[in-house]
Amino acid sequence: MKNNKMGNKFAAKERIIAWPRMGRIDIPLKALVLALGAKVVIPPANSNEALEIGVRNSIEGICLPYKLNLANYIMALEKGANTLMMFQAPGSCRLGNYTKMAQKTLNQMGYNFDMVIFDMYKSKMLQTLQAFWHVTHCINPWCYYRGFSLGFNKLFAIDTAEKLLFYTRPRELNKGEAEKCYNKWLEIVDNTNSIRGAKRLKKQIIADFKTIPIDKNKKVPKVYLIGEFFVLLDPYTNQNIEKELGEMGVEVQRQIMFSDWLEHVLKPSLFYHKESHRERSVRYAKEYMKRAIGGECIETIGDTVYAAKHGIDGIIHISPFSCMPEIVAQNILPKVSKNENIPVLSLVLDEQTGKAGYITRIEAFIDLIKRRQMDYLN
Amino acid sequence: MLLMLYTFFENIQIIKEVMKEKFLYKKIGIPKALSYYNNYPFYYGFFNSLGLEVVLSDKTTTKTINDGTKYVVSDTCLPIKVYVGHVINLLDKGCEVIFIPSLQSTDYKINNCSKIRGLPEIIRNVINRPFTMIEPTLDKTEGVGLNDFCIETARLLGVKDRKVIKKAVDKGWEIYNSFMKMTQSGVDYSEALENAIKGKFARKTVDIVKPLSVAIMAHGYNLYDERISLNLIKKLEKMDVKVYASVSKEKSLEALKQLGEVQYWANELELTGTAAYYLLNKKVDGIIALSAFGCGPDSLMVDEISYHCKEHGMPLIHLTIDEHTGEAGFITRIEAFIDMLLRRKRNLIVKKSDSVKSFKANVIDIKKEKVLTGSAK
Repeated sequence: MKNNKMGNKFAAKERIIAWPRMGRIDIPLKALVLALGAKVVIPPANSNEALEIGVRNSIEGICLPYKLNLANYIMALEKGANTLMMFQAPGSCRLGNYTKMAQKTLNQMGYNFDMVIFDMYKSKMLQTLQAFWHVTHCINPWCYYRGFSLGFNKLFAIDTAEKLLFYTRPRELNKGEAEKCYNKWLEIVDNTNSIRGAKRLKKQIIADFKTIPIDKNKKVPKVYLIGEFFVLLDPYTNQNIEKELGEMGVEVQRQIMFSDWLEHVLKPSLFYHKESHRERSVRYAKEYMKRAIGGECIETIGDTVYAAKHGIDGIIHISPFSCMPEIVAQNILPKVSKNENIPVLSLVLDEQTGKAGYITRIEAFIDLIKRRQMDYLN
Repeated sequence: MLLMLYTFFENIQIIKEVMKEKFLYKKIGIPKALSYYNNYPFYYGFFNSLGLEVVLSDKTTTKTINDGTKYVVSDTCLPIKVYVGHVINLLDKGCEVIFIPSLQSTDYKINNCSKIRGLPEIIRNVINRPFTMIEPTLDKTEGVGLNDFCIETARLLGVKDRKVIKKAVDKGWEIYNSFMKMTQSGVDYSEALENAIKGKFARKTVDIVKPLSVAIMAHGYNLYDERISLNLIKKLEKMDVKVYASVSKEKSLEALKQLGEVQYWANELELTGTAAYYLLNKKVDGIIALSAFGCGPDSLMVDEISYHCKEHGMPLIHLTIDEHTGEAGFITRIEAFIDMLLRRKRNLIVKKSDSVKSFKANVIDIKKEKVLTGSAK
């Protein structure tokens, strides 16, 4: 099957691969690509500098994730990469246009590179495998097994650590200990190189987090964090909202986890038995939405209803500026909030978001939640 | 005994008729926004053939926009605000049944913008008034084609007879096709719409040549709504500029292919296709892009076209509109653009005439040479 979406400028051995950053997605992907015997460049984490580069080189109306993606590409190319990988999901939102636009912009800027794009619409596993084959020309099935199992296990380990961090941070007795533990484990996960070691990671992480002294009887308000995929998973873009909330003494729960999503997308439906997050959302959102409209809109609505029915105290909904599916969600949320009796705070992020004003709004919202709890108790 | 049976059957028939009347709504409201501007002839033929009276909302006014703005989040784009305003207008008129389609995708993997896809979703959750919403889905990516769309619409209205539906669809296509033919031949939009609905066919008789011609790339719902576009077409015509607006789907697809682009958005074809077509056949002197502020797909597509315009040396102006757009500033920008086009064209003509002269001189030289060579023989 020939695919014109994959560039052919470089031979497989000359390739130095890079991909845009989103949270800590670089750790599992690095493990996978290294296992297939290719070279890797990891662009620096998203920062103000990256954002500036992205804003300078992209058009005004496009959303924030694209600007950061473009900056990642540019920084990776400057560091010596020559093959850029990116997935796309046609029909979701502007995400489907990202790669094409980035390609054009980078060509105009005079870079010499290959872009390898793979669809995540249907027949995902095949497309993904094909893309990685195209990049590495690795034919050893053992390498694929090793790469994918390393990658997936690392991903699960990171997500477990993150979940535990959300649980521990508001309850810890010595401030900052959970964060330290999390960062330590990220490094260990990154340095693990054997499948057996990677499989053991999850248990070790759970055991280690249990040693952190916490106040188990503390009454902690629980908040769901919902919204757009990229903004949720990238701590720079959402101004590290999870940390801020944790330090305010609020337990954050995030329904969109990268590993869950990837497992649902990649695993053939024959082996995937449990109800996926999306299916659950569709079920819960039925009263408000009858059809999926692209992006994470239906997940947002479904999660809100789910949260209201499972004793969550509040919802914080974050989205990048001018994100189309999330604007629809924003329009629907007030009614959901009223009908299900759950407070919702919608935050819109763009490159000019000031942190102070942002924190003030969150603080006010948390106060509101706490007061509501008091009213309930009285 | 026979008599009893007879009366029994008669009763059943009466009940059936009553049921039919109960399920059929008499009126259906169509808001004069978004898909109205492209598909109204089809909707009109379809609903009329089903035996429904079509009620339209009033023209867009500032009040419509203000009404709509009250209900939705401020980040929502202007066309959606206008749509909500029109729905409210219909409800105020006393129309209880409103047709709000969800056009998800028009071809495999070619989707619409999320807000158009989720139109019934928005309306249902934003307006807290009792009314019936007819909300069929068109989603060719998932295999729900136009036929299913029509059947679903009819089913929601209480019609289940396939033959009646088929007839209604045919009638819809008939009106739609004649409308498209008229607009393609250059008949004014509102005139074409009027004629198509009356079942007449108008043809443009005189093709007036004007000093300048301009192509407008914009969505139908932005361009033909006189309030949103601030009467852009008439303003341009007053300035003695000829306006080209829409081309057929085949032509625009072919033009896009020539430019090396692929269609990604369903409703962006009317924008990129028009621009690409006129860009390639050099019929126009400039392109005006008109888009609503915060429109996701437009921001990308206008950028794409402006990239090609730079390559082909075609001037392009991007006008952004929102509910606060002042008319004065709008006119100034158009006037400046038209002035620039005029000056550019004059310069080009002067250059051309110069080159014609030099060309003639060349011809004479060649003739002389020929003569010389001839004499040498």
